[in-house]
Amino acid sequence: MNTAIIFILLLALMLTGMPISISLGLTVLTFLFTMTDVPIESVALKLFTGIEKFEVMAIPFFILAGNFLTHGGVARRMINFCTSMIGHWYGGMGLAGVLACALFAAISGSSVATVVAVGSIMLPAMVKQGYPKKFGAGVITTSGALGILFPPSINLVIYSIATTGMSVTGPKGEPVGSASVGALFLAGIVPGLCLSFLLGATTWYRAKKFDYPRMQKATWLERWRAFRDCMWGLLLIVVVIGGIYSGVFTPTEAAAVAAVYAFVISVFVYKDLKLSDVPKSLRSAAAMSSMLLYIITNAVLFSFLMTSEQIPQAMASWMTSQGFGLVVFLLLVNIILLAAGNFMDPAAIVLIMAPILFPVAAKLGVDPIHFGILMAVNMEVGLCHPPVGLNLYVASGITKMGITELTVAVGPWLLTMIGFLVVVTFWPSLSLWLPHLLFK
Amino acid sequence: MLNRVLNHLEEWLITFLMGAATFVIFLAVVHRFASGIPVVQDWVVKINVSWAQELCIYMFVWMAKFGAAYGVRAGTHVGVDVLVRALPKSKANILIMFGLLAGAVFTGIVGTLGARFVWENGFHYALMHDWLGRDVGDVPEGPTSPDLEISTWIAYSCVPLGSYLMCFRFLQVAWGFAKTGEVPHADHGHVEGVDEIDETDLIAQGGDRT
Repeated sequence: MNTAIIFILLLALMLTGMPISISLGLTVLTFLFTMTDVPIESVALKLFTGIEKFEVMAIPFFILAGNFLTHGGVARRMINFCTSMIGHWYGGMGLAGVLACALFAAISGSSVATVVAVGSIMLPAMVKQGYPKKFGAGVITTSGALGILFPPSINLVIYSIATTGMSVTGPKGEPVGSASVGALFLAGIVPGLCLSFLLGATTWYRAKKFDYPRMQKATWLERWRAFRDCMWGLLLIVVVIGGIYSGVFTPTEAAAVAAVYAFVISVFVYKDLKLSDVPKSLRSAAAMSSMLLYIITNAVLFSFLMTSEQIPQAMASWMTSQGFGLVVFLLLVNIILLAAGNFMDPAAIVLIMAPILFPVAAKLGVDPIHFGILMAVNMEVGLCHPPVGLNLYVASGITKMGITELTVAVGPWLLTMIGFLVVVTFWPSLSLWLPHLLFK
Repeated sequence: MLNRVLNHLEEWLITFLMGAATFVIFLAVVHRFASGIPVVQDWVVKINVSWAQELCIYMFVWMAKFGAAYGVRAGTHVGVDVLVRALPKSKANILIMFGLLAGAVFTGIVGTLGARFVWENGFHYALMHDWLGRDVGDVPEGPTSPDLEISTWIAYSCVPLGSYLMCFRFLQVAWGFAKTGEVPHADHGHVEGVDEIDETDLIAQGGDRT
């Protein structure tokens, strides 16, 4: 009963269009005021301690690093490199688009910015080459979401934070810890590469079928030059992953170093950013992170309410009493997340859903790392599927195509993504073998 | 006029905190590396940077509270807008207004809770005993933080200050909305250094429009 009240209240408040953070906080306050005798003072303290962890601070740093490199110049360098490498294959520009999106999304950390940056440069070029506009739009809209799996992924950091500090038990009652940021980053790489490959394969297949133009093969000198240009941006991924995995940095330190590195690259090496633009970048990164941190604060309150009302436990025992096994649960998770992906920001979904679903998943024996990757792939699909995936929305803005028209254009790639989602869901080893190989 | 000062202060504060926190943690990392280099080692290990993490956390928590207030004015907070977009304008306006006022109520309550917390955790003592020199009876002296050893009420005071500012921003935006029918909205997909696609460009170059 209480569970129903909480969720209906939350849903009703969210639908008014108020900030997600406020609707979470108001739900908690209303519930605590009217239905329980939990001392309201404990709320005040939670508002500070909710984000008072060094691990959480990786988020603003990664956002800042991404902000410094979210620039048309960086996107252009990556596109040049990708077209020089694979532009001469069938659907070469499309393939280069997939690759450029994956690279740019990884370092910028924003799917939406990737669609805008790569799309604005690549789409006119593709049309000029003779590709139909919908082909390019389909490629860029879906590939723009790839960044969620590649390190440094803010969503994976958020998943790690959202599930830390809960007392969660496995199928036999043994305690289950949350997944570390380092392990999640590694775990995302293989599925990320697989999905990029599959999106590329879809592109290649369609380009071959409709005989879209190919580009002239670039010489190795041109390739080397293009690589040298975009290398500095890509090194960010190496710094982060290498630093965390070798134990040189904690994830938060890696994020701070990445931010300083990104600053040096964009101001002194690429010279995309003038020194006088830096305060503006800092300010927009601060605004972006504050928005996320504010959701986190309130999500911590919300998961405090969940725990005190024992909602995840109730759900877990309900699932097992109904005889639902792992397969049904995971299917259910996918459906819930895809539905939520329709109208919410990925970060907000992870923050709200992870604390609820993770205890149930652990009870049923799902690996915490695998569950994180599963959520990440869900977020990627959710960004691209109609009616209101965020990427679709942005792509519709830059291509001036209607959502329906764009949905049709995105179709083949979206189906590929959904197929891949099923694979990731029911084949844990795909996500787990790299972290297990390196951490054990 | 006062509002303009407040705007600048808010922007300046979050910009500064973002930059400074990055710098502090970067220095702490550099310091740790330098501690392993024989030549500079002896000199470097004398500097204590154990406070860096705590300082970074406090800076970011302050940034988060004031940035959230800035976000109301700049429209960066994400919400679910499917219903608002689907409804006719007159009904949608009621929902938007409700949302803004609910935001003001929530942040107002949180600010008050936070203020009470700060008062009871050392501000009362600091004000009466340390500054005014009065006898405060059994009012406790608040706790101090483990590394920086500052009174925690100073760090926690960002909750009331930031929340009341945010409350004020919600009211301000609600006022503006009542007068002009506009709410601020940030463009999350804005990227520097790319040109807008020109529609005529796409058609003229032979791209199909279907």
